[in-house]
Amino acid sequence: MAENQYLAPDAKLPYCRGCGHAAVVRHLSHALERLQLPPRSVALTTDIGCVGLADSLFPYLHTVHTTHGRSTAFATGMALAEVVLEPSGLKPVVMIGDGGAMIGLLHLVHAAQLNVDVTVLLHNNFLFGMTGGQHSALTPLNFTTATTPGGNWIPPLDLVALLRAAHAGFLARQFATDPTLEAVIAEAIAYPGFALVEILELCTAYGTRWNQLTGSTLKEIAARQGYEVGRWEAEAGRPSLRELYRRERASRPAGAPAAAAAQLPAPSTLAHEVRLVVAGSAGERVQSAAALFCRAALAAGLYTTQKNDNPVTQGTGFSLAEICLSPNPIEYTGMESPDVVIIASSEGLKELQANGTLERCRAETLLLIDAELDLPAVSGRVLRLALRRAAAPQRAALAALAAWVALEHVLPPAVWEAALAPLPPDRRTGLNEALQIGAQLVNELNKRMP
Amino acid sequence: MVAEGALAAGCRFFAGYPITPASEIYEVMMRELPARGGMALSAPDEISSLCYCVGASLRGLKAMTATSGPGWALMIETLQYALMTETPVVIAIVQRLGPSTGGATQGAQGDVWLAEFATSGGYTIPVFSPSTAAECHALTVHAFNWAERLRTPVVLLSDKEVGMTTEVVDEAALAIPAVVERPLFTGERPFLTYGFRQPEEVPAFAAVGGEVKVTVSGSAHDQQGRLRKNAPEVIEVLRHLERKIEAHAEQMELVRADLDPGAPHLVISYGITARAARQAVAELRREGLRVSLLQPQTLFPIPRQALERALAGVRTVFVAEENLTGQYRAVLAPYFSGKRVLGINKIGALIAPGEIMQAVRTAEA
Repeated sequence: MAENQYLAPDAKLPYCRGCGHAAVVRHLSHALERLQLPPRSVALTTDIGCVGLADSLFPYLHTVHTTHGRSTAFATGMALAEVVLEPSGLKPVVMIGDGGAMIGLLHLVHAAQLNVDVTVLLHNNFLFGMTGGQHSALTPLNFTTATTPGGNWIPPLDLVALLRAAHAGFLARQFATDPTLEAVIAEAIAYPGFALVEILELCTAYGTRWNQLTGSTLKEIAARQGYEVGRWEAEAGRPSLRELYRRERASRPAGAPAAAAAQLPAPSTLAHEVRLVVAGSAGERVQSAAALFCRAALAAGLYTTQKNDNPVTQGTGFSLAEICLSPNPIEYTGMESPDVVIIASSEGLKELQANGTLERCRAETLLLIDAELDLPAVSGRVLRLALRRAAAPQRAALAALAAWVALEHVLPPAVWEAALAPLPPDRRTGLNEALQIGAQLVNELNKRMP
Repeated sequence: MVAEGALAAGCRFFAGYPITPASEIYEVMMRELPARGGMALSAPDEISSLCYCVGASLRGLKAMTATSGPGWALMIETLQYALMTETPVVIAIVQRLGPSTGGATQGAQGDVWLAEFATSGGYTIPVFSPSTAAECHALTVHAFNWAERLRTPVVLLSDKEVGMTTEVVDEAALAIPAVVERPLFTGERPFLTYGFRQPEEVPAFAAVGGEVKVTVSGSAHDQQGRLRKNAPEVIEVLRHLERKIEAHAEQMELVRADLDPGAPHLVISYGITARAARQAVAELRREGLRVSLLQPQTLFPIPRQALERALAGVRTVFVAEENLTGQYRAVLAPYFSGKRVLGINKIGALIAPGEIMQAVRTAEA
């Protein structure tokens, strides 16, 4: 007997007399029979509430009893996994109430947007039944519930209309007593994407107790809310999620294998740890200059760490990078007191004043700053270089780092070539210019102050 | 490196939602996972992220999500569901300054309690805490291994300073743990979704959608997965959830211990602050002080054996962590009896080696 595969024939339905849930359970069983779905290809995913009692009625289906409102999201996860597995024909079917539908609204919306192969049976009995008949977001106007004793005054959500806006592939609204419900549920499950069937039903524990509610007035109430009843299949021929995901993967450019860091024959002569701060303005390539510098140091056999900071908006204000260089592995990555401070713009200067870096400079600290900046009194040796004028604002930070390399001679000059090598030639040209300008600025300085 | 570790561990599903400072993991997974035959997806919120991961794991895929404190707060409902349904999943939390939205770009170690004590009933969530990029890689593999082996959610707890600092990693020196798979049902006895003979046993897994009927439930259930009330078996299942973790606690112990037997001082630190502690201890030793160092990489279950070994003969214990209330110190307190315990705590900036050195020197004086 085929029916045995689905709803157990001796199943004792745990619902109140006349409750719509019992009708839905029977219709679901018949729909599965009609589809001849192997029971192990259905994952019955139930929400919280009376609707969540259905698991035990289907002894041969996979059942997943979930948390309130989240059933659709768990079912979506299962269906998403299916996209990258060998197709097993798994059909997650969600049973959720009107209360759960609202708490998990974004899961419904996103499942519809994804067009994931999940079928949702929304049991709308206008209230929270299991907890005593409280108002839900789908309670009709003027409807009496435990928490709207004077009648509901908040307009109900038309979920079918909302999910239509979210590109749901298959939508239906039916009454639990409709003889066509079985066929509609079968169509929804067979649909190869997201499908939702909203089933309007009676809660005979609370709905009918406090309202003039019968099978026929249910239809009137639905009509008064402006609810359309029927089924809609949108965007016929829409590609499945599996197909879309496959296309998306195929459209990606093949990632170039990461270029191995070139190791230079002449390693760095740096004998101790050096901590540098590079400060400038957002959009002036401060952090990428620091990253290039770290790659150069890596090529010379040094350990480096780089930490960036900027305002949360990222595109405006200061931009900052803190760098540690060391011949040995680096533990502490903070900046108790910097050895080198590079300031490429007034915004950078302002931030170093604000965050206390300038205060923490010592007599041995070297400050390489743009010649036009107005630096307050600070400990350390200050070198003013025409960074912005000579190298342009976009290249000022990199020119300053090149200047430091030229000054200190701790990195072999060839490190820059190694750092630039993985970049496309057109980008290398501009960066090379900045590096040369940095070195020249130091040459000029040495000529002035031999 | 967390993302690389996840890929090395065989992660095939990732769902994420942007949040500083965890977005890098999300972006790398979105870029790399599809190319390696997995599914990576942008979820509409953190609740969905973890629900999708749990759903995919129920279907049989190794799954991970990444977030920070504010996102973790939203995930706790689903974390409990994963624990109750014995569903393997890894959550990478990159801590930032809290509470609430806090400071998105500031580091902190303030989510230790929130990571561990997030379940009703206080069940043990395994928590691993890396201090370097290389440790991020290795501990992510461990996190997956234990999630799969014990069928339980596992947290990888790093922070902004570990997660967003670029550093040189010696690829050749990376210790890559062997990859472990979840125990699969092989059909030698009738299948029970949560079947065990001894409470510490991990139930064999069968995927939703496979040949045997699976009954998953986040409600109090028996071994078969059926919702039951007032049944002694339900309480046995709950005890088993804790017992299976407890029974493997010793095997889960991962620490970096640098002990000087007979030293009167022990510095305990984890995550980013362990780096300052290593530097501080090295410098204190150069000054002639005798100090031991213990960096728990497994924060929970508490690495009891390593802790007791490190504490033997010690007079003063320093626990350095970037939070105000000494979260891990408080958790370790029962092991410290008879010892002088000093917290080195700070928020808003890294604890510097100098601050740890000062505390030890003061105690020595």
